Amino acid sequence: MPALVVAAAVMVVFALGYRYYSKYLAERIYALDANFVTPAHEFEDGVDYVPTNKHVLFGHHFTSIAGAAPIVGPAIAVFWGWVPALLWVVLGTVFAAGVHDFGSIVVSVRNKGRNIGTLTGAVINARSRTLFLLIIFFLLTLVNAVFAIVIGNLFVGNPGAVIPIFAEIPLAIGIGQYIYRSRTSALVPSIVGVVVLYLLIGIGSAFPIEIDGAAAALGLERTRDLWAIIMFVYAFIASRIPVWVLLQPRDYINSHQLFIALGVIFLGLVVGLDRISAPALNTNLPEGTPNWFPFLFVTIACGAISGFHSLVASGTTSKQLDSETDARYVGYMGALGEGSLALGAILATTAGITAVGLNWSEQYADFGTASAGAVGNFVQGIAGFASHIGVPTSIGTIFAAVVVISFAATTMDTGVRLQRYIVQEIGELANIRILARNATAATAVAVLVPLALALAPGGGEQGFAFGRLWTLFGTTNQLTAGLALAVIAVWVTKQGRNALPQIVPLVFLLFMTVWALILNLRTFVENRDWLLAPLDLFILVLALWLVVEAFLALRKAGVGERVAPETSRR
Amino acid sequence: MAHRVLLVREWDAQTSGSGCCGRLGGAHCDVGDGEAFRHNRVEMEAMGAVYRALRAAFPRGAVELTVVDPRNMIWLVPTIWRDGRRRGMSAAEIWRQLKRGVSYNAVVVDGRTLFSGTVPAPEEAVDAVLAELAASASARPSL
Repeated sequence: MPALVVAAAVMVVFALGYRYYSKYLAERIYALDANFVTPAHEFEDGVDYVPTNKHVLFGHHFTSIAGAAPIVGPAIAVFWGWVPALLWVVLGTVFAAGVHDFGSIVVSVRNKGRNIGTLTGAVINARSRTLFLLIIFFLLTLVNAVFAIVIGNLFVGNPGAVIPIFAEIPLAIGIGQYIYRSRTSALVPSIVGVVVLYLLIGIGSAFPIEIDGAAAALGLERTRDLWAIIMFVYAFIASRIPVWVLLQPRDYINSHQLFIALGVIFLGLVVGLDRISAPALNTNLPEGTPNWFPFLFVTIACGAISGFHSLVASGTTSKQLDSETDARYVGYMGALGEGSLALGAILATTAGITAVGLNWSEQYADFGTASAGAVGNFVQGIAGFASHIGVPTSIGTIFAAVVVISFAATTMDTGVRLQRYIVQEIGELANIRILARNATAATAVAVLVPLALALAPGGGEQGFAFGRLWTLFGTTNQLTAGLALAVIAVWVTKQGRNALPQIVPLVFLLFMTVWALILNLRTFVENRDWLLAPLDLFILVLALWLVVEAFLALRKAGVGERVAPETSRR
Repeated sequence: MAHRVLLVREWDAQTSGSGCCGRLGGAHCDVGDGEAFRHNRVEMEAMGAVYRALRAAFPRGAVELTVVDPRNMIWLVPTIWRDGRRRGMSAAEIWRQLKRGVSYNAVVVDGRTLFSGTVPAPEEAVDAVLAELAASASARPSL
């Protein structure tokens, strides 16, 4: 099957989803009102509440939700065949992510721009706010662990990426100093930054950095582990310095990289006309392979539906919405953009890799190989696409690795920082002064817990620890989405409208998540994996807690007193 | 089309590279600490005063007032370019405006950058924008 045909078909479905389903949601479910006074107008201050052109807002929203996760999940999930992975990405995007992202904006707009976390407490109950924080705690722990492994694997497989990635740090700091201190143009420095970064790819290619000897000298079995330690040391330092020193300046580089990568994927796809070499449905699965049903639905979280989008949608986007009707364009279209990134990952790992001469069946021989090598396969696939537009494969591979590592490292920096705040909050609640007051101690906890997971040898003889860890991360992300969907469903029900568009994906996600957690728990116990088993059990308890809260809230909303729809109008 | 006034300044939030599973927001974020973006708040408040002064000075339909983050270059660059072309600026002139306009802080009126790098006082901004709108209108006979 030509990859271009698949891409075109998906784009048609996305277009139909936008044209018809989002219109249905806008008119019948969310009942958008062009005359409703949005928080941007009601509290207009030019600071947080600013009525903003919908195209501008889409730019802010989309760059805020895009990252590395919609690449990793699909790159693993094609192991079960490209059709199931693609179907979940397409259907998930159209019927779950679109509903969730769009709805998160609307509910926030109708509640004076309040955040989804606050709304969880207000719309469902106060207990749910605690549930929300606990889910985020586990999500951040897992995301930091899996991205450390992703980066470690990429450095081992692409030692040419080491120099550009580590050079990006002083490069970003330099851009920050230039922009913030001289208060001059951001355009030229950011373009120069990207150009220098990509020039360094040539140098990195000529001088690959390998640390196998150092890892062996330290007694580490896997070189990847040493990279993971290095990345957590980096994250510890990066999360302790002001955001304007590194985190924000790197946004200037990453913003360009996001669109460059998307351009390379889809341009290479059109020019190269590669065919998909993966089976539509992989029936040649070794014994012990996790079943695609339910694991597919937690392996691909971001790219099909991601709970974190609700934080962006309700955190800043809702406060800038000029007209309530713009929520459809910004929210639903943003979800389609994320789905397109996942589509690119599927095509890179099923069609692009053949352009560099890789055999799909060997790359995806078993779940352990597939999950450990998934991002490497994505990188190779992008190199394949890039080769069609004249980029040498050796350079294209490092280019793709640099893009993915840049995003993953940014996530680690942010994730550790966020986790530090949550650890401090927990320290406050538990009256543990050293955690509550000492940021260094809180950061150490935020780093050491995921580092322990990243270094864990678990997974049993099959050795699919990373794949299992990734699915655990997926479950926490799906729970975050489930919580937001529950909030939206309760709000829709209270408005006297049909909440099935939220309830169906909510029930589906919770069912798949709980099922996957139970199956994982059984595997961990059988393998005597006493690190992942308790972790899985904790997340399972949170999932069941969410099921109960969602059920109670929906029942109450359905039988209780209905709230009159908001009537604040221009 | 109405005249376009762009107020360029950063939001107190991270915008790219990690949003899918961890994004650092500012004062109104669910998780995190607004203190991390204290420097941005100062600029946001200052530009907010400019925004409110311009909003009070110009009717909503006549002037499209947009606050945009300089990292949103995918929208900002083509917009300044288009506005400049509409006024008949040369490519070199537009490039000069772009360099100054895509900045930490900037005020851009119909493709021309009036302030770059610093946030002007509200009255100063209103006066400058008024003068530039008059110049822009004369450069665009259709208006």
